[in-house]
Amino acid sequence: MPEEYVKFDLTDMKNFEYDMKRCVRCKGCKWVDHIYMPGATYSTRCPSEKRYLFDSFSAWGRLRLALSLLNGRIEFNDRFVEAIYKCQLCGACDAGCKRNLDLEIGSALESLRIKCVADGFGPMPEHKAIAEKIEKEHNVFGGPADNRDKWAKGIQTDDKAEFVYFVGCYGSYKMQGIPKATANILKATGQSFKIMGSDEYCCGYPLYSTGQIEKAKKAAQHNIDTIAKSGAKTVITACAECYKTLKVDYPKMFNKSTSDMGYQVIHLVEFVADQMEKGTIKFKNNIDMRVTYHDACNLARMSEPWVYWEGKRKLYGITEPTAPRRKGTHGVYHQPRNILKAIPGIDYVDMIRIRENAWCCGAGGGVAEAFPEFAQWSAEERLEEVDEVGAAALITACPRCKDNFSKAINASGDNIKVMDIAEMINEAIK
Amino acid sequence: MDLKNELQKIVGAGNVLDSPEILEEYSTDNGIYPPGMPTVVVKAGKSEDVAKVINLANKNSTPVIPVSSGVHFQGCTIPYQGGIVLDLSNLNKILEIDPPNRRVRIEPGVTWGQITDELAKENIRVISPLLPHADRSVITDYLEREAPVVPKYEFAEPLMTYEIVWPNGEVFRTGSASVPGYPDSPAKGTNPAGPGLDFYRLPQGAQGTMGVINWANLKLEYLPKINKIFFMPFEDINAAIEPIYKIPRVHIGQEFFLLNHVDLALILAKQWPDDYDRLSDILPSWTLILTISGPPRRPEERIEYEKEALFDLKKQYFQDMPILEALPGVPGGGRELIHMLRKPWPKEEVYWKNRLSGACQSLFFIARPEDAPSFYEKVVDEAPKYGYPLEDLGVYLQPIEQSRVCHLEFNMFYDPDDPIEREKIRIMNRELAQDLLDMGAIFTRPYGDLADMVYEKATSYTTALKRVKKMFDPNNIMNPGRLCF
Amino acid sequence: MTIPQAAYKVLEAIVGPDYISQDPIDCEAHTPGPNGFETDLGVATILKSPGCVIFPSTTEEVQKIVKTCNRYKVPFIPISTQWWSGRGAAKVEDALMIDLKRMDQCDIDDKHMFAVVGSGLIYSQLQEEAMKRGLYTTIPGGGSQVGVVANHILYGSSPLNYRTCIANRRILGVEWVLPDGEILRLGSCALDKDDYLWGEGIGPDLRGMIRGFSPGWMGSMGIVTKMSVKLVPFQPDKPMPVGISPDTAVELPLKRINWYNFILPSKDALVKAMYEIANAEIGAGLTKVPLFWRAIAKANNKEEFWELWDQESEETVAAMNVLRVLLIGFTSEKQLEYEERVLQDIIVKDLGGKQTRTKPTDESWVKNADSASMWMMCGGYTSLEFDFEAISHAVAKGVDCSKLKKGYTPPLMKAYGDQGWFQVGDYGHLALFEFLTYQDPDDEQKHKVDEWSVALSKMNIENRYYTAQLASHKPLFLTGPAYGPDYHKWMIRFKEEFDPDALSNPPGPADTDLFIQEAEWMQKVKDWPAPKIEANKNPKFE
Repeated sequence: MPEEYVKFDLTDMKNFEYDMKRCVRCKGCKWVDHIYMPGATYSTRCPSEKRYLFDSFSAWGRLRLALSLLNGRIEFNDRFVEAIYKCQLCGACDAGCKRNLDLEIGSALESLRIKCVADGFGPMPEHKAIAEKIEKEHNVFGGPADNRDKWAKGIQTDDKAEFVYFVGCYGSYKMQGIPKATANILKATGQSFKIMGSDEYCCGYPLYSTGQIEKAKKAAQHNIDTIAKSGAKTVITACAECYKTLKVDYPKMFNKSTSDMGYQVIHLVEFVADQMEKGTIKFKNNIDMRVTYHDACNLARMSEPWVYWEGKRKLYGITEPTAPRRKGTHGVYHQPRNILKAIPGIDYVDMIRIRENAWCCGAGGGVAEAFPEFAQWSAEERLEEVDEVGAAALITACPRCKDNFSKAINASGDNIKVMDIAEMINEAIK
Repeated sequence: MDLKNELQKIVGAGNVLDSPEILEEYSTDNGIYPPGMPTVVVKAGKSEDVAKVINLANKNSTPVIPVSSGVHFQGCTIPYQGGIVLDLSNLNKILEIDPPNRRVRIEPGVTWGQITDELAKENIRVISPLLPHADRSVITDYLEREAPVVPKYEFAEPLMTYEIVWPNGEVFRTGSASVPGYPDSPAKGTNPAGPGLDFYRLPQGAQGTMGVINWANLKLEYLPKINKIFFMPFEDINAAIEPIYKIPRVHIGQEFFLLNHVDLALILAKQWPDDYDRLSDILPSWTLILTISGPPRRPEERIEYEKEALFDLKKQYFQDMPILEALPGVPGGGRELIHMLRKPWPKEEVYWKNRLSGACQSLFFIARPEDAPSFYEKVVDEAPKYGYPLEDLGVYLQPIEQSRVCHLEFNMFYDPDDPIEREKIRIMNRELAQDLLDMGAIFTRPYGDLADMVYEKATSYTTALKRVKKMFDPNNIMNPGRLCF
Repeated sequence: MTIPQAAYKVLEAIVGPDYISQDPIDCEAHTPGPNGFETDLGVATILKSPGCVIFPSTTEEVQKIVKTCNRYKVPFIPISTQWWSGRGAAKVEDALMIDLKRMDQCDIDDKHMFAVVGSGLIYSQLQEEAMKRGLYTTIPGGGSQVGVVANHILYGSSPLNYRTCIANRRILGVEWVLPDGEILRLGSCALDKDDYLWGEGIGPDLRGMIRGFSPGWMGSMGIVTKMSVKLVPFQPDKPMPVGISPDTAVELPLKRINWYNFILPSKDALVKAMYEIANAEIGAGLTKVPLFWRAIAKANNKEEFWELWDQESEETVAAMNVLRVLLIGFTSEKQLEYEERVLQDIIVKDLGGKQTRTKPTDESWVKNADSASMWMMCGGYTSLEFDFEAISHAVAKGVDCSKLKKGYTPPLMKAYGDQGWFQVGDYGHLALFEFLTYQDPDDEQKHKVDEWSVALSKMNIENRYYTAQLASHKPLFLTGPAYGPDYHKWMIRFKEEFDPDALSNPPGPADTDLFIQEAEWMQKVKDWPAPKIEANKNPKFE
C-alpha cells in the first residue's frame, strides 16, 4: 500500500480508514473469545447485533458503512443514524477484534459518531436534550448545579487533600448512597479527600459518546482546569463512566496521552484493593449472600490508558513508530473480585461472560437515553445470566449500570438485588 | 448387427455367453427371490470393455446387470428385465499395494480369499465384514456398505476412490484419483472427497444401479501379530448394552461384536453337525466377542493398558459381566476365532450362514444399540407366527464407529430347495421388516421386497434419488427394477 | 436496487417486519469486503450488494422464502456466518440475502454421539457443548467462528482430523431446502424427519450432492437448514480456559492430553516420522507448521512479526523441521504414557529427532483456531491452494508450489522457500496440504495474486496434483475438464436439474470464471476454452 501519514485523531474518519478496510468479518467483535466460549448460549458479546440482527447493527457492518460513507457510496439517512446510535459503544467489539487483529474498531465507531454530528445528522434528539441540560446546569438531569454536593452535607472533606473525589452526575443527583458509601470508605481508611462541588461538571461522557465532541471538550476542559486548580494529583471516582472519560477520553479529545494529563485517575475498587494489600481496610461485617459481579465496560475492557500516536502506515499496514494498541488486557478486572471474595460470608460466583467478554448492561453510548427499550433488553439478558449462576445479588462498580439493571428488575419483578460495590464495601466495613 | 455380435466385437466371442445352462446359472442367486433370465452374459476381460458394453447397452436400451462376486444373497443380480449380465469376475487384478500410504487398488473381481493372503505377506489387511464368503468381491461388500467387524475407527468407510463407468457410459475417477493421468501421478487416490461433488457414496448401497466400478482404492491397516480374545457370555440381551456402548468408546479393542448362540455355534462348529448341536446347547444365549491386539510398536504394552482399562470399565459399569479368555466347553476355548476373524470363511467349507439349512436370509438394518433388545423381542414374538423355530434364529449385532450405531442382523435359515419354506421365509422377511421399520429400524440398503416399503416412507428422498438417477442413467439401463428405479 | 415489491410483501408476511429490510443501508452493511476471505482478491470486483436481507428462524420459513423467490424469480443467496466472504455475496443485482444466523439450534445426543445443528451455530459453541459431554468435534482451520453446517459441507480440515477424518465425512442426517423450495432429507431423517441418527442412503447416498464445487455449493444449491454431525469420544478431563485476551488458552489436563514438539534432522526424517507414527496408530494430531506461524505466535503485533520474520532466511526456513504431535489418552492415562514411549522410539531413537519445550496449554485446535490472525501480518490472506492426499503428495506439491511462488513474490509475502503446511489425516491415509497466500491488498501489483491462483491450477494439472479447489479461486472451465475428467459437466448437470432458473446464488459454480471473463488483467493468462458466463444464468458446457 502507498505510505500514508495517520494519527489517532478522531475528528477525521480518514485516520481510521485502514481499520475499516481491513476488517475481515471474523466476528471476533460478536463472539465471546472462543477459548471462553460457554456453549450454545451466552455466546455473543455485542448487544446491538444480537438485538437487531442486521449487519448495520454490528461492528463489521458499521465499519463497512463508515467506509462507504468515506467513499461516497452512501450518505447519512435515518436508518444509518439509527444504526450508529443503537450501540452502547461498550468496547466489546474492540477488545474482541484485537484478540487477533490490530484494528481500531472503537475509535472508528467513535469517529463515525463525531462525523455524524459534524455533518448535522446526529445525535439523537434525546442526546441533544441532555446536552442542553449539561450546558445549563452541568449535569445530565438538569437539576440545579448548586445541588451537586448536597449529598455531602455533614461529610468531612479536606481542601488540602491529594485526592479529589469526582462524584459524577448519578452519584450527585440520583444515587447518593454511592457517594456517601464512598466517603465512608475513604474515611475508614484514613484517606482525606476533597470534592469539586458545583465546579464539578458532568464528565462529558454523554456528550463525547454521542459524537458531540465540541461540547464534550468544553466540559472536559472545565474539569481539567478545576482539577489542576485544586492541586490534587489523584482523581478518585466510584463511577466507571467518569473514570474512563477522565482517564481515556479527555486525552483522546485533545490528542494527548493519559500520562500527559497531570493527574491520575483511580476507581474506588483500585483504591480499596490497594488498601487491602496494605491492611488498612478490614471487612468486619458478615454478609451471607451469593453474589456476582458485573464488569462495567468503562472500568473493564475500555479503561486502559490512552496513548496518542501519529506516524506512518506502510506496506502491509506496518506502523512507524509502532502504534500502541489497547487490547483490553489490563482492565480493572481482579480488584473488584478480590474485594468481594474477601468479604466474610460472601459466596462469590462469576457470571458466564466476564472481564473482556462481559455483556454490557445496556445503558452506555447514549442508548439508555435514546433507546430505553433496547437498554432494558440488554440488561435483561445480563440478569438472566445472573439467574443462571444462581446469584442473589448483582454487584456493579458503575451507577449507570446499577440504574439500568434496577429499571429492568423493576419492570420484570425479578428479585435479584443490585448493589454498587461501594455500598457493599460500606456494609462490610461497618 | 445384433447385440450378441456387437458384444463379441467388444469382449471377444469366448466372453459372450448365452447357452441356456449359463443363462440359467445367472438367473438366480443364493437367496429367497425367484429367478429371472438374462439375455446374454458378458465376461469383461479388461476394464475398457465395461464402458463399451454400457455404451452399447444405452444404444439398444438394454438392461445391464453388473456382477462381481461369485456369491450373492439378496437377489440384486437377478436380471428380472433380461438384458446383459456384465460379469466382472475376470477383472480380478490387485493393481497396486502401497504399504506406506496404506492403500490397495483392486479390480471388482478381487475376492476376499484372494486379497487377504496377498496382503498378509506385507503384514497388512483390509478390515473385513464378519467372516465374508471367500468368493465375495471385496469392492462389492463395501459398495454395499457391509459393516466392518472392527468398530474402533472413528469412521468406518474403507472405500476411498474409484474409477467408475456411469450408466450413461462416461468414465470418471472420483476423489483424488480424479487427477489427470492417474495412477501415473503424485496423487495416490487416498482421498474420497471432492474436488467438486462427492461421488464416492453415490454408487454405495446402489445394488449396481449407479454404474460399474473398474477399480477402487481401499484402506489398509496393519495386521496385528499379537492378540488376545475375550468372551463375555450372558443370558439376557439387555446385559450387552452397557459394554457395547462403553468399550469401543474408550478405544479398547479391535474386532468387537455380539452373537447369539446360534450364530456363534455356526461359526465355531468344526465337525458338522455334531459340533453345532453340542455348541448350540452349551453356549450361552449371547456372547460379546472382543479382540485386543498389538500394533507394530510395543504391542504387548498396548494390549496391557487396554486390558487394564477393560477391567476398569467392568468394575465401574458392568460388574456382573464375566470377561473370559476362553469359552467354557468349547474346544480350544474358541480362541481360534481370533485367526478366523482376520480371514474370509474357508472356501472349502460350506459358508457359515448356509451350514444349518443350506441357505440364510439375513434381515438387517441400522439401529441404536440400546434398541436392540426391543427389536429382538419383536422378532421373537413374531417368528413363531410363521412357524419359524426360535432355536434356529441367528442374531448378530455389529457396533459401528465406536457404537454410535449398530448393524443388527437376524439370520433366518431355510432349505433353498424347498419352495414352500423359501416362500415362507420371504413372507416372514417382508412382514418382519415392515414391523421393524415401523419401530424405527433404519433400513439403509433395502433389498428385494423391502425397497418398496422403505422408499414409500421416504418420499422426498425417493423423488430426489430418481432425479439424480435420471441424470446418470437417462435410459434406465443399469440394473433396472431395483430400489426405487 | 430492490427486489420486486410484491415479493417483498410476501416475504415480510413470512418473517415479520423486524426480520427483513431493503433499506440501502442494511443492504450495504451486508455487502462483504473490501477485506476478508477472497474479498481482497480480484473476484471482489464482481460482488454486488443484496437488494434485500431476510432472517428466517425455521426451516418452514426458509422453504416459504425460497418458494417465493421461485415465484417472483428473485435470485437468493444464503449465508450463515459469511466468513467465506467472497462467496457470501451476491454476484447479481437485486438478490435476496437469506441470513441464517437465527437458526442456531444445537441438540446433542450424547449416547449416539451426534449433534443436530442449525446453520447459524459456530464451532466453538459446538465444541464446548460437546466437551461438556465428554465428546469433541474438530475445530477447522477456517476458525472457531465458522458455521458448523457450512464447514461440514466444505471440508472441515484440522490437525485433529488425524483420527477423525475431515468433517465432511462426518455428516449424518441433513435437512435441505432445494433451490425450488422442496425439502430433501438425507440419511435416517429421510425415513423419520426427527431421527437424525444416521447418514447413509436410503440406497444410493446423496450426501455427496452437498459438496458442490469444492468449498460446498456456497449457496448455489439451496439451503441446508439443519444437519446432524458426528461427535467423537474425548478423554474425561475438560480443558479449562485461562488468561486474558489476547493471551487466552485452554489448560490441558496433562496426564490425558499434551502437545509435543520435535525437531527432526531433515525434512525426509520428518516425513518418515509422520508415516511411522500413523502406522503405529498413536496420536491425535500430527502437523508440520510453517515457520512464520511461530513468528505469529511470538509477536504481539504485526511490527513485531516483521522484526522476527525479517531475520529469517532460506537456510533457517529449510532447517525448520518441526513436527508437532498431539497425544490424547482416550483410554486412560496409561495410553498417553504408552504413546509417549512409542513417540520417543520413533522420533528420538530411530530418526535422531530432538524434543523441545511445549506449553502446557493449547491456543489453537482443541477449542479455538485463530484464522483471523492470518490477516495480521500483511492485511491480505487467502488459502489459494489446499488438498487432502497422501503425505508424499503433500511433500512433492509443497516443493513445486514454493518454486512457482517465487515468480509472484512480490506482491506475495516473501516466504524464504517455505513449502507449505501439511498435517496428517485419517491415521496417515492422507495429509492436508495448504499453501497460504499473503499479500498487501492495496499493493500496486495485487492483480498478480489472481494470476498466481490460475498458475497454481495450471501447475496442478500439468504435474497431476490433486486440488481441493475445483472452482473456488479456480476457473471451473480450466479445472473441470482436467479432473474426473469433465467434472464440470456433472456440476452443471446437477445445477441444471435442481436449479434450472439459476436462482440459488448464481452463477455458481462459475463465479471465478465470471470474474476472469470480466477482468481485463486476466485476459493475458486465460488460454483455455470457456463459454460466455452470464451472471444470472447457469453456465453451459455444450
